[in-house]
Amino acid sequence: MNNSQQSVRVGFFFLLGVALIWVTFETLSGGHFFEDRGYKLIAGFDDLKELKTGDEVRMAGVKIGTVEKTQLNESLTSAGGAPDTAHAASAILRIGSKIKITKDASAAIVQSGLLGNNYLAVTAGTVSQPLLKDGDEIATTVTPDFNSIMKDIGDLGHKLDGALSNLSSAFNGDGKDGGLFQKLDRMVTENRDKVNATMSNLQEITTKVNQGQGTLGKLINDPDLHDQLLAAVGEIKDTAAQAKVFVTDAQGVIDQVKTGKGALGTIIYDQQTADNIKASIQNVRDVSDKLAKGQGTLGKLINDDSLYNTAQNTLNKADRAIDGLNDSGPITAVGIAANALF
Amino acid sequence: MKQLRNICDGVGSVLALLVRSVGYAGTLPLQLGRFIEQCYLIGYTTLPIVAILSFFIGSVLALQAGYSMQDFGAKSFIGSLVGLSMARELGPMMVSILLAGRVGSAITAELASMKVYQEIDALETMNIPPARMLVMPRLAAVIVMMPVLTIIANLVGWFGGAFVSSHVKFIDIDSSTYFGALRHYTKFKDVANGLIKAEVFGFVVVLVCCSIGLRTRGGPREIGASVTRAVVTSLIMILVLDYFLTQVLLLISPS
Repeated sequence: MNNSQQSVRVGFFFLLGVALIWVTFETLSGGHFFEDRGYKLIAGFDDLKELKTGDEVRMAGVKIGTVEKTQLNESLTSAGGAPDTAHAASAILRIGSKIKITKDASAAIVQSGLLGNNYLAVTAGTVSQPLLKDGDEIATTVTPDFNSIMKDIGDLGHKLDGALSNLSSAFNGDGKDGGLFQKLDRMVTENRDKVNATMSNLQEITTKVNQGQGTLGKLINDPDLHDQLLAAVGEIKDTAAQAKVFVTDAQGVIDQVKTGKGALGTIIYDQQTADNIKASIQNVRDVSDKLAKGQGTLGKLINDDSLYNTAQNTLNKADRAIDGLNDSGPITAVGIAANALF
Repeated sequence: MKQLRNICDGVGSVLALLVRSVGYAGTLPLQLGRFIEQCYLIGYTTLPIVAILSFFIGSVLALQAGYSMQDFGAKSFIGSLVGLSMARELGPMMVSILLAGRVGSAITAELASMKVYQEIDALETMNIPPARMLVMPRLAAVIVMMPVLTIIANLVGWFGGAFVSSHVKFIDIDSSTYFGALRHYTKFKDVANGLIKAEVFGFVVVLVCCSIGLRTRGGPREIGASVTRAVVTSLIMILVLDYFLTQVLLLISPS
């Protein structure tokens, strides 16, 4: 192998290696050779929980920086040139220089998994607010973590326990005065016989009702009654309809009477007829007076008994004639009768 | 006592060789041919075995991770596990061990035989220091080649893990999920970390192997003994240095 071929291969090999390193670098770090130092923010917390150096700082889920350092604020004048803070601990954040965080943004420690991976979530502030600069302190909000939730549940358990014991003392009494159950028990025991009697009466009543005895039972159990009731109601309805028709007719009659139509109308509303009737009644009274006094033929007929006596005699004569007729034959009898009569 | 003296002697001669070689760094442009030759031997010819080995390292990492993680549903993190362990640890480590076995042994054998057959003495007689002509080009070549080998090992290992994750039945992780997790958790910082480690390991391996080769005394049998000693010392140095170097790097660039 000659020398130049060897150097070509070595040169190619070396360039290949450099190219691969460059590709790896581009792929893994996005082409930023020196890490973006960005700017520093301080986030004060009373409890940093499991936040540690190197954890991510995310805004809306996108990584915008890392936690550079976590420290205790012992005398509230923290190291590293950080300003005073009222919190027990603070995390120093390294934020990418292109990321703008406004003054009203706030940071919270968020747990991303049950295994204790935490990150610092920064909420975006409003655009109009001024931006935070290097070394500024960012506002923080405390989020309940798993442990505090557990603690809350424990407190809740205690409260529940107290409430239940109160309830149980109300039920069971506190020694001197019997509890609700004991009072109830006493009341039930004292009134047992009455309650029993009432219950048996009630049972009897319901049995009767069930068997169709009595009015209520029949009302409940007899279908005929229902049908009859229904029919009665139907009849009432029909009657009502008829009454309506009748009333309408009566109305018509009254209207006719009012307008003077028909006999009754004439009688009621025609003055002349009324006078005629008055005169007729007067005449009748005259006739009856005369009759009573025995004036005239009819009056004599009614009041004079001589005519009766005459007739009596005539009838006696006729009777005798009929007795004689038994001998002299029917034709003679007829002649005699006729004589006697006229 | 004799052992301790040998160790101190070894450390001393390695440091002396280092100082002398670095002193000759200015002569590199004059030795460009030798430098290219060493680059070829150290980098180019080592590539196939590095690629094969790191592919299977990545695969077996994914396989073991999938087996261990399937019980608690963390299989989607296989990508990050393979990515981080290859970049930070296994990539540089495996390349350095391969370098010790394949290149370091060859260097020691070559220099030891030159020493045994008095070629080194001949060079010194001609006023050509062996540190200048034999050691310095090798050190320069390993510095240039180690990052290249390591990045290839990393990438091949990552792809091996992806291959296994998506093709093994009980893991069945999508390639996009695998590389998504890998990209999310592996930063270039981690890769650079690994490259620095590989650089240090490769430099130490070549330096130790050169030193042991040049210190060979006696007949041809000593050549074999020197090679054995060189490889064993290199491996120990790699693993011990690895721990301390990782500590130092973690201090310098925390996560």
